[in-house]
Amino acid sequence: MAALKTILYLLVYPGFLFLFVYSTFVEWFDRKVYARLQNRMGPTHTGRAGLLQPIADIVKLMAKEDIVPDKADKKVFTALPVVGLAVVLTAGLLLPVWNIDLAAASPISFPGDLIVLLYLLSLPTLVLFLAGWSSTNAFSIIGGTRVLTMLFGYEVPLFLAVLSPAVLAGSWRMAEIAAFYRAHPLLILPNLIGFGIALIAVQAKLERTPFDIPHAETEIVGGTFTEYSGKKLAFFRLMADVELVVAAGLLATVFLGGFGGSVLPAFVQFVLKTLFVVFLLSVLRAVTGRIRVDQVVSLAWKWLAPLAVLQLLIVILIKGFAL
Amino acid sequence: MKFQIPIGPQHPALKEPISIRLTVEGEVIKDADLRLGYNHRGVEKLAEEKSWIQNIYLCERICGICSHSHATCFVQGAEKLLEIEPPRRGVYLRYLVSELERIHSHLLWLGVAGHEAGFDTFFMYTWRDREVVMDLLEMISGNRVHYAINTLGGVRRDIDETLRGKILEGLAVLKARSEYYFKIGAAEPTFVARLAGVGPLTKQQAMDYCAVGPMARASGIDRDVRKNDPHDFYNEVEFDVATADSCDVLGRTIVRIKELFESYKICEQILQKLPDGPIAVKAPRRAKPGEVVSRYEAPRGENIHYIVANGSDKPERLKVRAPTLANYPATIEILKHGFIADVPLIFAAIDPCICCAERSVELVDARSGEERTLRFSDLRRMANDRARSLSLQRNVAWPL
Amino acid sequence: MNDEQKIEKLKTFVSPEAVAHPAPHRIFVTVAPSGLVTLVERMKAELDNWYVITISGVDKGESYEILYHFGDTTGSITVRTQIPKADPRLPSICGPIPGAVLYERELQDMFGIAVDNLPDPRPMLMPDDWPAGNFPLRKDWKFDRPAEVIPGGEK
Repeated sequence: MAALKTILYLLVYPGFLFLFVYSTFVEWFDRKVYARLQNRMGPTHTGRAGLLQPIADIVKLMAKEDIVPDKADKKVFTALPVVGLAVVLTAGLLLPVWNIDLAAASPISFPGDLIVLLYLLSLPTLVLFLAGWSSTNAFSIIGGTRVLTMLFGYEVPLFLAVLSPAVLAGSWRMAEIAAFYRAHPLLILPNLIGFGIALIAVQAKLERTPFDIPHAETEIVGGTFTEYSGKKLAFFRLMADVELVVAAGLLATVFLGGFGGSVLPAFVQFVLKTLFVVFLLSVLRAVTGRIRVDQVVSLAWKWLAPLAVLQLLIVILIKGFAL
Repeated sequence: MKFQIPIGPQHPALKEPISIRLTVEGEVIKDADLRLGYNHRGVEKLAEEKSWIQNIYLCERICGICSHSHATCFVQGAEKLLEIEPPRRGVYLRYLVSELERIHSHLLWLGVAGHEAGFDTFFMYTWRDREVVMDLLEMISGNRVHYAINTLGGVRRDIDETLRGKILEGLAVLKARSEYYFKIGAAEPTFVARLAGVGPLTKQQAMDYCAVGPMARASGIDRDVRKNDPHDFYNEVEFDVATADSCDVLGRTIVRIKELFESYKICEQILQKLPDGPIAVKAPRRAKPGEVVSRYEAPRGENIHYIVANGSDKPERLKVRAPTLANYPATIEILKHGFIADVPLIFAAIDPCICCAERSVELVDARSGEERTLRFSDLRRMANDRARSLSLQRNVAWPL
Repeated sequence: MNDEQKIEKLKTFVSPEAVAHPAPHRIFVTVAPSGLVTLVERMKAELDNWYVITISGVDKGESYEILYHFGDTTGSITVRTQIPKADPRLPSICGPIPGAVLYERELQDMFGIAVDNLPDPRPMLMPDDWPAGNFPLRKDWKFDRPAEVIPGGEK
């Protein structure tokens, strides 16, 4: 029974199948919100209200010609999309979407899983850098270096921002952090600055406007993805979608009280809270223009990092005096 | 590490073929070179074979966005050579279309600037509102792009009272929307951060490199043919020349939005003062020998047509200079000190409209950095060789 | 500065009969190719808000007429010069006005006029495989379309 449960956990919910279906739904949701904010209709034709459009896009890409450049490092070039997708799917497994037994550690929930998740979320960035570098295309290389430059900007504020709720809850385990905030809902409020910083940093990590600098089409064509086509590009797109779900799930767990209860209530909470986070990210994407890579770094170090330290200070003061 | 990246002839930031080769060090541009001639159609030679009336339609096809400006510039000059005076109602209608075209071109540019800066929402909104002015132009002339409203000695279509009301309504809508864009252009922090200080062109540089249009006006030079060397019509309406002195892309944006308001003002005055009478007079077929310099302020800057007549029904020589060509030297100078991220914006800030042609490509070998210029025939041969050497089995399997 | 003042000023640069005023805002000045650069330098120094609009060439049969159109705040001044067809050679005005470079390159391409001291003498508009000695805007040049070859197509 336990083995079956593990297999279901890995393959169905919240594993591969669920993440795949849900991430395409989230992409549809993101596109629809973005389109409506821009006075457009967004996807309408494939499936009811265009719901199947992201799946249709992936199927279409799968059927396209798959080209590997002559001068590219072929093994790395081919392996990277698979590695990237595997990494984000693994990260998805760590989200505490189920009724987790807080007393015992399990392979999917253990003290310190927050750090592992953050680490797994850093890997796609490196994958994208390597993808750009191994393409040996001028545009790809510039895209790849931009990915890394941005990483140095947003990574520290993101870690600091996610650290503060963990410090307040006194745990490095996501299920425990979520349970703590479900028990003390008012303590969500002091973490709002951190939530804002984390939203901006996640937007940068996901390379969405205003941080879509590594693949800014008007400047460097496709950036990191210039040489990718067909199946490999489909994998990268799926990777970005799953990463969006995982990042939204992380923010919902750490800042919005997670997903309590048994399977069904937890599922409903998961959907509502991640869609809320994705909605905020979509609005941010619609109301801003792209900024320059040097502006990202100065924004991150002049504003986000000091604010994150301030947030940490607030949390420590609360912990010292109030709790 | 220095390497070269090609922008164009085909590139997502460019809507027409032109080639800029950038030598970059990281994100910083060290050198820029421009190559023209991908779209040269030999209009000047062709014009020598066409009659006066045919040339109006030829000139209209020099540019797709500002089609009316070249036709008007030609007609202004040809009317002097043919010694005819168009009736005042015709002149008013001609410049009504001119100003509406300026509105449509500037709204289009605002959207493109938003897109180049990665601000797609702005792009969607401006292009939606641009439909209003496109519809007005279609109601007046019957066409959305090539209005074909000019003829020698006047215009071809009249407007009535209902249409006049509709134009005024449309202008009111556009005015309200433009005020909103002015607010965004000056207030949206990411947009302003991308535009302010980008592409500096000092007043002295603008003078030396002979910049025209919004490019010069954003550097504080009030260079506008409508004021400096106007057709009689522009003396009868009141408007100001929009200038800015920030000398950057933000200034060029502000100048264009201000010009929108000036154009609304001119259109309203035209519709209020619209005289009665005929809209055109009959033009003779032949012009007496002579020459004329005709200047016109197109949305992008100054147009000049130098026309020589030799007594036949065809011009002896028609020299056309479009404003974009005049702005290239200044643009290259600006590009030399920018970031890669700013290239599309700086280039878009001149509102490029590219009309020249050639059939060769420059290839830079990524490993050796050696440069070879290939002819089209060589490229075709290489492509064919490559196609033959590929194994046929590759990529034909349906994956599902 | 209005037309009369400009004409007065120009008459101090060149002989009075070389200045014509055919229409309001339009002044034509005739000058020999050798005096061109000096005239342009003096005009630049003494007329304000002043720039080159374009350079036109006209094939006049025996000679080429080159017209430099300059603009300022109150109209345009056109400097006219004639060069013989046998030896088409012009000095460059890019020294005083760097912005004229594209127009002079265009003259080279279209009329085959050699412009001396041009900072960037590469061809501008013509393709790289354009046959030498073909200058499209000369009146004696006629275009004949080469037969189109479709690779792999029927002969």
